[in-house]
Amino acid sequence: MFGPSVRLDKALAERLEQAAAARGYATMHEFVRHVLEEAVRDSEETQSEDEVRHRLKGLGYLE
Amino acid sequence: MSASLYLCAHALAYVGPGAGFAFLGSFLVLLVALVLAVLSVLLLPLRIAVAALTGRAGVLGAGGSKRVVIVGLDGLDPGYLRGMMADGTARNLASLAEAGVFSDLRTTCPAISPVAWSSFATGVNPGKHNIFDFLGRDLRTCIPELSSCRIRTARRSGLLRRARAEISLLRGSQPFWKVLGDKGVFSTVLRVPITFPPEKFRGLSLAGMCVPDLRGTQGSFTLYEEAGTRGEAVETREGPEGGSGVCVPVALRNGRMSSRLSGPAVGARAMDAPFSVRLDSDRRGARLRVGGETVRLRVGEYSPWMRVKFRRGLRTAAGICRFLLVSADPVFRLYVTPINIDPERPAMPLSHPPYYSAYLAKLHGPFATLGLAEDTWGLSSGALDDASFLRQTIDIHEERRRMFFDALRRTRRGMCCCVFDMLDRVQHMFYRDMDEEHPAHRPSSGAAGDPVREAYRRADELVGDVMKELRKGDLLVVLSDHGFGTFRCGVNLNRWLEECGWLKTRPDASGEDCLRDVDWERTKAYSFGLAGIYLNRKGRERRGVVDEEEALSLKREIARGLLDLRDAQTNEPVVSRVYDSRETYSGPYRDAGPDLVVGFLRGYRISWETARGRVAGDVLTRNAKPWSGDHCMDPALVPGVLLSNRKLDLTRGTPHIMDIAPTVLGFFGISRPAYMDGLLLAIEEAAA
Repeated sequence: MFGPSVRLDKALAERLEQAAAARGYATMHEFVRHVLEEAVRDSEETQSEDEVRHRLKGLGYLE
Repeated sequence: MSASLYLCAHALAYVGPGAGFAFLGSFLVLLVALVLAVLSVLLLPLRIAVAALTGRAGVLGAGGSKRVVIVGLDGLDPGYLRGMMADGTARNLASLAEAGVFSDLRTTCPAISPVAWSSFATGVNPGKHNIFDFLGRDLRTCIPELSSCRIRTARRSGLLRRARAEISLLRGSQPFWKVLGDKGVFSTVLRVPITFPPEKFRGLSLAGMCVPDLRGTQGSFTLYEEAGTRGEAVETREGPEGGSGVCVPVALRNGRMSSRLSGPAVGARAMDAPFSVRLDSDRRGARLRVGGETVRLRVGEYSPWMRVKFRRGLRTAAGICRFLLVSADPVFRLYVTPINIDPERPAMPLSHPPYYSAYLAKLHGPFATLGLAEDTWGLSSGALDDASFLRQTIDIHEERRRMFFDALRRTRRGMCCCVFDMLDRVQHMFYRDMDEEHPAHRPSSGAAGDPVREAYRRADELVGDVMKELRKGDLLVVLSDHGFGTFRCGVNLNRWLEECGWLKTRPDASGEDCLRDVDWERTKAYSFGLAGIYLNRKGRERRGVVDEEEALSLKREIARGLLDLRDAQTNEPVVSRVYDSRETYSGPYRDAGPDLVVGFLRGYRISWETARGRVAGDVLTRNAKPWSGDHCMDPALVPGVLLSNRKLDLTRGTPHIMDIAPTVLGFFGISRPAYMDGLLLAIEEAAA
């Protein structure tokens, strides 16, 4: 509700709505978020292997 | 007697300032309540107008006073249930089946809880919700990671510049209770898997499977053991091998010991909290002191949940845990559950709204918040015996049951849903006792009796009690996400791919996890997790080598090879079907999932080695672990269950777990959203 928001013009928002629906997203917000996540992912730090191991510790399926 | 009480009352009466505060506090609450009530009435016409203008249903929401109750029983197997119905043990479920519907429920591909419950919640296939397994992988590094949420440490700007955790849910699409909320229908959603971190919607939710413990793991127990005995009975591993238990040697002096509980890490060091134990002179019990509280421990009995505050400098974190005095004589052993996040002061968000977990804790007392709360690792490693594991599992079930019935009674209209995990955990750990051919089969479970049957009996009892709470017109849905089968043999897909020449290992390969032994420049296919096989694709994996054209033929070759794979011990096939992602999934996340989902025959599953991204080992390994039942096999062989108190139209064939979302929406008169893959199961009108 109080998070950052991005302003789009109405025509683009409508095109995004249509594109989101055509691709199987539930909402335009999900579509935009996914596209933006993909766009910034390469510039972000990867998790270290130790961090990942630590977080998976205890998962019974991985005894 | 009455005279003395009268005198005492006068003699000792002292009215301090507290009474005044109490009176003012109560008065303020009353005043605020009155103002809110008046405002609510005055604003009613305005709310109706706003609802009409925004397209939302009236003040009661869509469906008026209708109510849906959903009981999720993770792992309820249709075959086993039919047997219990036939012998009269599952009477409540049988009567539900007689009144309404009892059917197999097709599950997702793969048949794994996070995948299936995500399809339940969203009404879509995994290609649209992005959960294909417990594990996903970072395509830049190919290191397997938790598929459902990402926790990143981000730097906060500002004067203090303190690190903070950014937690994001990786499940895509949206749950149907969000759609209900948008139409004004209120929902209470308890412990549905893959709901961490909780999402905002019109209702209440408590997160389930994959909520971490306070240390950030999926559950790490600790065993404090008298020095000099370590390693005699308990196999616990820590560190690179990725085990879940930590064994801490302790020294007893004059029957006393003190040690520290390990909490979340701050930088390189973990926060900790002290505790101490004083054994009784007869060594049958002890006094435990932790977090300013003292409790008595008896051998073989759990303590209540104990609050523990971890500190380091100015930082604090609140956790809860239970202690079990495993033995006191001749060797002192004290088991401590994973440190759960305290629901009253959650270090990470556990509920929506955030205060809901605190409300539940105030109402019912502390409760298990860890996603996979039942300590299967504790049992596997020998830190817990059968009876202690079952006691823990039942206690967690009862906590959830109390929460659920309270929520059900408060939900006069709308939707109330809760997922119970006991059946799943008990079948994972005790299937060996039902399967005489299982490598870990025991002729008798001894004191534990028949834990699987007992778990089904409790599930039946739970449903019976829910049926008593139903009102005329309510829709009750009982469902499971998958069935169960025996897990006798693990298949090391990475080793098999290597033998077939599709996976190459590095010259310095040393049998490590996390796909570290893979030579990516020469590898065409690899596996990790529990679902299947991934191609090392150009443009997707950073060091991908397989192009689109080759991918098609490669998938066909691998599938053929898997279908030809035979168990040398029995000369029987291992795989019943191989599912191509291009035919199985649709949606924006399709390419994130496995390219081939391997549908194993009953008795087989991806091996422990492959699940962890290891290549070394034999292709087929007998599974002699207590974790002896599983469902990570051909989804067609392990369907779930659908039961309802109302007749549902099943003329299209066996329903699918994706059908539940549009069916519930339909019950409230809400159309199925176009993105949903599930289909509406028409509901027969309730008898007048």
